[in-house]
Amino acid sequence: MKKISDFINLYKPFTKAGIQSAMAYRTSFLCFALGQSIYCFVMYFIWKAVFMSSGESTFMEFTMADMTVYVFLSNLVGFLTNSDSTDNLADEIHDGSIIMRMIKPVNVDYSILTFEVGNKVMIITCIFLPVMIGVEIYRYAVLGYVAFSIVNFLIFVVSVVLSYLLSFYLNLIFGYLAFFLLNIWGFSILKGSIISFFSGALIPLAFFPGIVRTIFEQLPFASIIYVPTMIYMGKYSALELVFVLSKQLFWLVVFVVISRMIWGWAQKRLAVQGG
Amino acid sequence: MIYVDGVTKEFKKVVKDSGLKGSVKSLFNRKYNIVKAVNDISFHVPKGEILGFIGANGAGKSTTIKMLTGILTPTEGRIEINGQIPFKNRKKYVKEIGVVFGQRTQLWWDLPLVETFSVLKQVYQVEDKAFNERMAFLNEVLELNDFIKSPVRTLSLGQRMRADLAASMIHNPKVLFLDEPTIGLDVAVKNNIRKAITEINEQEKTTIILTTHDLNDIESLCKRIVMIDKGKLVYDGSLTEMKTQFGKYREVNMSLFSNEDFDKLNFVSEFKVNDEDIKINRSKEKITVTFNSEKISISNMLSYILKNVQVKDISVNDVNIEEIICRMYGKEVSD
Repeated sequence: MKKISDFINLYKPFTKAGIQSAMAYRTSFLCFALGQSIYCFVMYFIWKAVFMSSGESTFMEFTMADMTVYVFLSNLVGFLTNSDSTDNLADEIHDGSIIMRMIKPVNVDYSILTFEVGNKVMIITCIFLPVMIGVEIYRYAVLGYVAFSIVNFLIFVVSVVLSYLLSFYLNLIFGYLAFFLLNIWGFSILKGSIISFFSGALIPLAFFPGIVRTIFEQLPFASIIYVPTMIYMGKYSALELVFVLSKQLFWLVVFVVISRMIWGWAQKRLAVQGG
Repeated sequence: MIYVDGVTKEFKKVVKDSGLKGSVKSLFNRKYNIVKAVNDISFHVPKGEILGFIGANGAGKSTTIKMLTGILTPTEGRIEINGQIPFKNRKKYVKEIGVVFGQRTQLWWDLPLVETFSVLKQVYQVEDKAFNERMAFLNEVLELNDFIKSPVRTLSLGQRMRADLAASMIHNPKVLFLDEPTIGLDVAVKNNIRKAITEINEQEKTTIILTTHDLNDIESLCKRIVMIDKGKLVYDGSLTEMKTQFGKYREVNMSLFSNEDFDKLNFVSEFKVNDEDIKINRSKEKITVTFNSEKISISNMLSYILKNVQVKDISVNDVNIEEIICRMYGKEVSD
């Protein structure tokens, strides 16, 4: 217990600074929210066109209502679990400012993580909660009953936390590549496409044919967006829930271990850029 | 307090042929060169001393500072500071040191300055009472109050540097590393910062290692200097000793009615000295002759000049420490 409270005391100021930094650029934040909403509606209309032209009311067990919820929720989960740690870390490595973190008695990864959590607090209050309420109203209007379940929601929260940490460490590993490549712009773009395709952010993984879907679902990327979204929509049985959550945990541990190994290795061979 | 013993740092550098072709070639077939940025350096700093650490650009100063602060791991040799080995337990070690890298900032760019201090207070777990006393002291010597509520990105360079200096000392460190703390500042701010450093050193007996290119910093702050060149330690001793050892040079500055007149002078044959004992620096406005005052007396020098050329203005000066260092880099030590 003492350890946890020490941890919170040490990193709390980073989260606080993260919130304040997010608030310092309110206009940018608003534009981000606006841009993402437009994107959501574009996706919604594309899927609507797909459903209407297919002439069937369900597609791979998804109704149009399901699809609508999926589009908005997967994007929400995307905001919550997206991490800028690749670019932030790579920039710091590239211009050498990472040394300013290293002269502080904190872990490099925790200090980046807890700062980013501050940004997430802003996203939760300003984007996630309003859109979630909107989604629930929509579901009530279409289904005619309240589909929201508190138990389901709590499991969803656990799953989102796991996927955020997973995504954070995955991104961090890409960021550490800057130690070896010095410029990771190309890698960063590649990573973005891989994540948005394999995580189900573009197309629900359920739409892929049998074997491909099974393979995709085992990959770590599925754990980032697809799994929490499907949990929210109540698409998993109890047994499946245990399975997908432990898969998230498994990948999280794998990425933490890999990132620690790279960091340990890099520290010994580190050549700081500039001055 | 600080023991540095036989420390060497090697870097692997990619060797690349020039041009696009070279870049493409190095993508597939990398060749490496081992570069010794720091080569077998040893020195010792007792508690409470301000040590000036000087050297030309690329001499290995920053690499040494990075090893002392636990960021880089030495390839060979041993560093012990406060009884700890910097890179071994970095988080524990850095609690007892403060660092300013003049070219970077540790302040939170988007937040008001005061927030940085409160973040640091928690990160270093400074008690309220100690923190308030410390802030009061730093406010007084560095005059932070005028801009403590402004976001860091709006501060001027001088304000930022004062704030950075304060931020490095909020936790009352035993050792302070200042890497070019006066870079890019005007004279008034430089003086302010020097005063603050002196005061902190006197009040808290903080051991300070200072690197700088501004030799006025050295003259006003450090009794002892360590100089490195091309990764090697070339001088370790007091500033006055260095001045007497290398300060036998004097310079004559003059401006003439006609610069061609000067060609009539030949110091080497007149005084029968070697080329090293005399150095001439000509520009349109003035001519500077630097000479070894042990070989040529000042009065002989002056009378020789005055007899042979028409002088508009003339003066004799001590060689400043900058000149001494140039000389040391240039000849006497590297050879």
